[in-house]
Amino acid sequence: MISDITLGQFFPGKSLLHRMDPRVKVLLAIAFIVAIFLCKYVLTYALILLFTLFLIAVSGIPFSTILKSLKPILFILVITTVINLLFTGGEGEPLFSWWKIRIYEVSLWRAGFMALRVVLLVIAASLFLTYTTSPIALTDAIESLLKPLSYLKVPVHEFAMMMTIALRFIPILIEETEKIMNAQKSRGADLSSGGLIRRVRALIPIIVPLFISAFQRAFDLATAMECRCYRGGNGRTKLRCYKIHFIDVFMLLLFSVLIAAICLGNRYLPGIVGWGYSL
Amino acid sequence: MKELIRCEHLSFSYEGEGSNVIPALRDVSLSVGAGEYVAVLGHNGSGKSTLAKLLNLILTPKSGKIVIGGREVTTPDFTEDDLFDIRRKVGMVFQNPDNQMVATIVEEDVAFGPENLGLPREELRRRVDDALETVGMTAYAQHSTHKLSGGQKQRVAIAGIIAMMPECIIFDESTAMLDPMGRHEVMDTIEHLNRDRGITILHITHYMDEAARADRVVVMNDGSIAMDGTPREVFSQVERMRALGLEVPQATELLYRLRREGYDLPADCLTAEECAAALKELFSSRNIAE
Amino acid sequence: MDILTLNHVSYTYGRGTPFCVDALRDVSVGFEKGKITGLIGHTGSGKSTLVQMLNGLLKPDEGQVLLDGADIWEKPKEIRSVRFRVGLVMQYPEYQLFDETVRADIGFALRNMGTPKEEIDERVREVAGFVGIGEDLLNKSPFDLSGGQKRRVAIAGVLAMQPEVLVLDEPAAGLDPRGRREILGGLCKYREKNHASIILVSHSMEDMAAYCDNVVVMRGAELFAQGTTVEVFARAEELQKVGLDTPQISHVAAKLREAGIPLEGELYTVDGVAEAVLKLLRGEGKA
Repeated sequence: MISDITLGQFFPGKSLLHRMDPRVKVLLAIAFIVAIFLCKYVLTYALILLFTLFLIAVSGIPFSTILKSLKPILFILVITTVINLLFTGGEGEPLFSWWKIRIYEVSLWRAGFMALRVVLLVIAASLFLTYTTSPIALTDAIESLLKPLSYLKVPVHEFAMMMTIALRFIPILIEETEKIMNAQKSRGADLSSGGLIRRVRALIPIIVPLFISAFQRAFDLATAMECRCYRGGNGRTKLRCYKIHFIDVFMLLLFSVLIAAICLGNRYLPGIVGWGYSL
Repeated sequence: MKELIRCEHLSFSYEGEGSNVIPALRDVSLSVGAGEYVAVLGHNGSGKSTLAKLLNLILTPKSGKIVIGGREVTTPDFTEDDLFDIRRKVGMVFQNPDNQMVATIVEEDVAFGPENLGLPREELRRRVDDALETVGMTAYAQHSTHKLSGGQKQRVAIAGIIAMMPECIIFDESTAMLDPMGRHEVMDTIEHLNRDRGITILHITHYMDEAARADRVVVMNDGSIAMDGTPREVFSQVERMRALGLEVPQATELLYRLRREGYDLPADCLTAEECAAALKELFSSRNIAE
Repeated sequence: MDILTLNHVSYTYGRGTPFCVDALRDVSVGFEKGKITGLIGHTGSGKSTLVQMLNGLLKPDEGQVLLDGADIWEKPKEIRSVRFRVGLVMQYPEYQLFDETVRADIGFALRNMGTPKEEIDERVREVAGFVGIGEDLLNKSPFDLSGGQKRRVAIAGVLAMQPEVLVLDEPAAGLDPRGRREILGGLCKYREKNHASIILVSHSMEDMAAYCDNVVVMRGAELFAQGTTVEVFARAEELQKVGLDTPQISHVAAKLREAGIPLEGELYTVDGVAEAVLKLLRGEGKA
């Protein structure tokens, strides 16, 4: 079922991560990405892996759900791993060699690191931005972080509102797609056989109704919003208010320590331990 | 009773294909008092939804006058600020519950309207909590709007309107897409708002059992008002209702049939209780019941 | 004879995840050939899942679905042929319209079946007649029609396959009384002409009482009751206990019987109760 996809779904809760200020979470998500790309050695990778496990533990999101969220990127994961294994050269004796294919030990490490990077990236982004942050809080955070840009006449509020609405309608449109597919299958539509052109043509009976319904919904929603006195961001107040709490400060500090540790590791690890594969 | 809404000689038409003009309302005059509970009944295309959209100023009448709370809204000096003032006073709940919610979390959706009014945060909090309690959805304040049942979604939509403290709420076929349980929930909420909060209700529907619960029923047909009276007055005219493509409660219909067979029975029974009582009396007068 | 049979069918959504929900639990039910069977139950009772089992949109986790005695999943690759024999009209079917003209949209299923061109045209006109769509509308865009007309075109799009079994999920939802009668009446005409069987899902007990020969009641993913309309509505009290309303008229009849008035007959339609009351009144008149 299409609606099985959990990527981008909020799990309401009261965990440590849930209680954090969304603005801090957006900043930390960015910091995490930076941290991952700073990693060069096995030990620093181990550190960030441990840290991710810690985040999972304090998020209260079941581990199985997190594994499931990786399903959509499985394909990318496999492709990058294979490319890294096969097409990045190395020196010395290959571990494995057949026909023109040679796999070196360094490629193995490189592929492993690359896969780990992608996996950690997706897990961290989902944990911070979608699983524990309601889409509204997320848009609020982005709106608030981008606020300085509105002085440069960038339509920050409009952008945030568009995002809120898009997020609100994604699950509805997914359900609708499924419904339309079922209706057309019931009329004998064959969605899974034939060549490329036939398959693309077979999508018309699904895409046309989906668009029509999406436009209808957009029209209805615009009317409903006007009826609720919406007239843009001017003069609007907000129910939600965000305050920096102890936990936010704590996490910011923790992240600073993490990034500092990685930097230090990059600098001094090669001298301390003789091994560790760098990218 | 103080008058809240008055329409005088209201007409409206939609632009059809080419230069085709499809008349939707013809010369409608209607007055609704503050605190009234009015059901507007009519078949699809009778003009009842057009009337609602005119009252909420989504559409502008081609001719005629609308007065809301003593303020004429069809004059040229009517400004945008006035428009939003009217929309705050006259709230509207639509048919499709999914297409009127903006936020993904219940309480944030309820707050959307008051936020637009620019109210301070403490006032927002107070109004949202109060509105959710009024519709009995307090327990769901932090839930995702997507996972609610149809009836619950409509109640959240109603809360979103109540939080703006309107004097009148128009329900534009708000029960049409709900299952029986959802309809019950919404109907009970509507009744509660009218009886306990004094909010004027205009409930547009084609379900006659819903219309029967109102204080007053206005029947629309072909863009004009065909009947206007208490539910008893309206539904007792079985033949007239049928000619308009509408139904009457089964209890009313049963007594109507028996009356046509020459039995002396009341014409204005609406409920099963009243109907059974009338029949019991008839039977006991003929010594059939033991 | 049953045209469609569910044999100990179970189905769970999201199996193996923490969100799994039992949608059907060991349901065995038969739908009689040539009859109109009503399917009642709350939202979430499993009725929608059951409906999707009937034409192979969903495959049972356990148990079988038999069409005319044969398991529809015997050859999974040929499930499309089952969908042509069991026509399914989903809830609010108007969203399935997509083609440029009403004619083309109604003919969509026929093109999928590989019906010859000349025959398509003839059949389209015939089924449009069943649902009251006039010849003049056939060349219009389906998106220019009124809501009620769109609904009827969508239903015609399924009728065009001339299915032996027609399954309809709330075909009259949101329509006014006249619209309801037109659609349900059209379906009855189709059934007579093609000797088809109909399975009708509806929340309207009045419609159930007026149109159905048999009734199946679902509750909490399980079968709650099945039988003829008379049999099932005779259990009005039980139905009310599980939160399903019965027609208003059956309440009137129940109250009279409680008061010791010996009404008898089909006490769930206005016709039935009127007849029963008149019989008593007249019987007394003769005596």
